[in-house]
Amino acid sequence: MCDVCGCGADSHDHSHGNVKTVKLEESLFKENDRLAQENRKHFDGKNLLAVNLISSPGSGKTSLLEKTIELLKSRYTIGVLEGDIETERDADRVRAKGAYAIQLTTGGACHLEAGLVHKGFHSLEHQLKEGEDLDVLFIENVGNLVCPTSFDLGEHVRVVLVSVPEGPDKPAKYPKAFRTADVFIISKIDLLPHFDFDLEKVKKEALSLNPKLKVFTLSTVSGEGMDEWISYVEELIKNKKGL
Amino acid sequence: MHEASLAVGMLEKITEIAKKENAKKVLKVRVKIGKLSGVVVDSFKFAFDATKKEFLFTENAVLEIEEVPAVYRCFDCGKKFETETAYFPECPECKSLNVTILSGEELQVVDLEIDV
Repeated sequence: MCDVCGCGADSHDHSHGNVKTVKLEESLFKENDRLAQENRKHFDGKNLLAVNLISSPGSGKTSLLEKTIELLKSRYTIGVLEGDIETERDADRVRAKGAYAIQLTTGGACHLEAGLVHKGFHSLEHQLKEGEDLDVLFIENVGNLVCPTSFDLGEHVRVVLVSVPEGPDKPAKYPKAFRTADVFIISKIDLLPHFDFDLEKVKKEALSLNPKLKVFTLSTVSGEGMDEWISYVEELIKNKKGL
Repeated sequence: MHEASLAVGMLEKITEIAKKENAKKVLKVRVKIGKLSGVVVDSFKFAFDATKKEFLFTENAVLEIEEVPAVYRCFDCGKKFETETAYFPECPECKSLNVTILSGEELQVVDLEIDV
């Protein structure tokens, strides 16, 4: 083995004449974090609230957005960045409800990164009418509870969503998603009678991972719990606007 | 598999530095990966080895990984402890869950060895 570079080869062609060590001590997230910080500044400059929605596929992120848009659109201008590996479907769904939307197709990547959000946001702004400003931007991440948790997008609020049919063990299995979130939404609670899902236990588990989590339980079908969620979002929008 | 985009991002950064340093090639890259970083060491290695040939300077670069354990401190009794169960860290002394992370979240390029 070569004792200079430790590469394991008996013979190889590199010279050992001038080996130099360059110290870096730099996070691999540095570039993403820098771009995320820029996004956040940009959003702040526009008094715009940015929300990053994270969940596994099929938890009801898009349904929650559809309902949220319905309930907020008379008072606020809403933008949505839809992260998906393929297709325009989700963007079409939220557009139909009255939001401006851009589909960000990652072409295979399992998460959104700050740079893509930056580009998407500018395309979204081009859709706005003259003199119109966004009040809130929802970023629907790619359906995945692992990778998206590591990438700051410049959001002000990170929401992790779990639906009742997925079962109660998400906080235990995907702890980082709960540790890095500000809000925990348990969705599809109209299905509680049909599933073995101990609401209080799940809440307690999530809160033990992250005591600062704000928890909402709701159903977009029955409408239960939607008022609390909407009041919360509205409060955040007003705070951003300094109202 | 966000390890792939992290490995490619790192290789881009390394290429930039190697250029600046007028390196002939990069011999070794040392990385710290914490147990709580959300990065799987084997996937990161795989991604690095699968993509390093696509970049200048790194074709034969060796990746050296230092794994950083998850270390916590208990807010209630002050005990410092390491645990394998990464996310429901319970203080072994007083059983409190009121703990803070001291290390384990690192994901860092420490240094490069280059041939100049």
